[in-house]
Amino acid sequence: MRNVRLPFHMSSVSLCSATVGALAVVYIGLIAVVMSYAAMTVEFSQSVKTDEAAVAVLESQYLASVSEITHTDYRALGYVAPVAKIFVPAKSVTALR
Amino acid sequence: MRSQFRLRIRIVLAALIFVALLAIGRLYYLQVIHGAEYDQKADRQFASGGGGLFDRGSIYFTRKDGTLIAASTLATGFLVAINPQVISNPQSAFELVSRIASTTAISKETFLAAALKKNQVYVEVAHHLSSEQGAALAAKRIPGVQVLKETWRYYPGGTLASQSVGIVSYGSGDELAGRTGIEAKYNDTLVRSGDSLYKNFFAQLFSNVGNLLVDTENVREGDIITTLEPEVQTRLENDIKEVNQRYSSRESGGIIMDTKTGAIVALATFPSYDGNNLQTVNPALLGNPLVEHVYEFGSTMKPLTMAAGLDAGVITPQSTYNDTGCITVDKYPICNYDHKARGVVPMEEIILQSLNVGASWIATQLGQEKFRTYFTKYFGEKTGIDLPGEGRSLISNLSKPQQVTYDTAAFGQGIAITPVQMIRAVGALANGGVMVQPHLVSAIKLDSGITRSLDWSKTTQVFSAAAAQQTATMMTALVDTKLENGKAKIPTMSVAAKTGTAQLTDGRGGYYTDRYFHSFVGFFPSYNPRFVILLYTNDPKGVQYASETLDATFLDLVHYLIDYYAVPPDRGVALH
Repeated sequence: MRNVRLPFHMSSVSLCSATVGALAVVYIGLIAVVMSYAAMTVEFSQSVKTDEAAVAVLESQYLASVSEITHTDYRALGYVAPVAKIFVPAKSVTALR
Repeated sequence: MRSQFRLRIRIVLAALIFVALLAIGRLYYLQVIHGAEYDQKADRQFASGGGGLFDRGSIYFTRKDGTLIAASTLATGFLVAINPQVISNPQSAFELVSRIASTTAISKETFLAAALKKNQVYVEVAHHLSSEQGAALAAKRIPGVQVLKETWRYYPGGTLASQSVGIVSYGSGDELAGRTGIEAKYNDTLVRSGDSLYKNFFAQLFSNVGNLLVDTENVREGDIITTLEPEVQTRLENDIKEVNQRYSSRESGGIIMDTKTGAIVALATFPSYDGNNLQTVNPALLGNPLVEHVYEFGSTMKPLTMAAGLDAGVITPQSTYNDTGCITVDKYPICNYDHKARGVVPMEEIILQSLNVGASWIATQLGQEKFRTYFTKYFGEKTGIDLPGEGRSLISNLSKPQQVTYDTAAFGQGIAITPVQMIRAVGALANGGVMVQPHLVSAIKLDSGITRSLDWSKTTQVFSAAAAQQTATMMTALVDTKLENGKAKIPTMSVAAKTGTAQLTDGRGGYYTDRYFHSFVGFFPSYNPRFVILLYTNDPKGVQYASETLDATFLDLVHYLIDYYAVPPDRGVALH
């Protein structure tokens, strides 16, 4: 059985050391990526929740407006109920030609 | 040379094995020997900032155009905590704090009392400060005063649909969970595992890799989409409140349901409460009487008796009977509301004039066995509505041999059912004899982005479509000719309805002679209905009949719904 020869001159120990070093760099890089990702996730989650809370405030204003309109006595504002309603066939809004 | 190489390899291998053994030993020490201890410690440190912010899914109303409006969501703000061991001058610290946070948000008494707890290092003194207040307070850097972010449950509509939406609170333990309403019924979907929002992704990656592939908790976590329409809900609540206040009733309620699907578009009771101010809420109001309480409904039961008689073939719309005004059954008198005899009258008059003697006559024609069968189909089982604590009907009187119990049940006395059971049964009159399943939640919006529709397609045929239509015709005639003496008739829309006035039980086996339960059921358009409406007011003062208390409310809602949903007219429209 022939020994496998590397195309360059490097001992096995050096090769192992280089591999271990490369893996360590990759591992540290991976940790950095994961930590950055985690930080971004938290930041975005907080941002989403903050925005949702802001939307909830707007929704609260909308629902308050609905309530106010429902409670409004339109007669007191000078409006009157229609004397009669006339129903007519609806015309197409797309105006097909 | 070769032997040296082998030696080196063995040394490296031995070193690796040694390191591996060290790592395994350390892992065993950390995860097995001290696993529980570190688990608890990790739980405390897992969340960043604020120490475990409350997270929970939202509940949405659905507008008629499909827009989702939050009924229950999260608000974000700040809490103020103090370290009593650091604060040397509580009075000046409070003054600094109160310059930014109003004294309504932060109580002087609470602050000073907390500052006296010198054996503690963390005491929360105020909650729900706005983001602006929190930022301003943090910028002050007052020694011993901490400003931390917090989230809490928020109900944008305040009192809107509060008894349906429910509340979140602490129970006997220290866990915030849904306690009533949809919050409780769908708690498993709304609850968040606590690490979903502010989790330490790195820690999770290496502690629970399996969950990243298939997270069983996240699969079921989502938001709840209800069928409640916020504007219709507001209208119903407004109307119910007016009735309750005008007649000083004990409570009033109403349900508006889609007749074909069972989707409830509005469900309201008064008195109600604001889920944002639970400290001031009477606990008795937290339940939902429309689902949990049973009532004797009175004459609103007559259309169901009529439909049973028609379906069984023991009567036809043309059948007649001799109304004597009062009859005696098993030694008990049964009388019309005015004790007057009508003579020989057709079936329609039983509905139009609300004749108790006529309803009893139909019950007698049906016989006990058939009557029991029909009413057990109507009310024998819970509706399965998706609200907690649904009450069970009290229809055990229909197991007795005395005929009087059947005769009185025919006009809604002696049996007690929940309002939601009643609207389901009346809905069958509007839906070709088919009972649908009332429900408030149409879909779950999962965190994965998928919206999963819930299946509410289970139906029960309780009588024939012909019986339903014949009964609907009688109820339509009531609106056209009797309700407000015919003035309630809508020329362009057929509306079917029936009022009910029941005497309240006195708790001693009898009935009050001057206290009543008023109910009103109806649907429109009569022969292809969109909505079925149920209203009630319990123990109104100074008024005897439901036609006096609930007519106007019912008609207001009908007109409102016709306009709001642009329900097309079904009669009396001239074609151009």
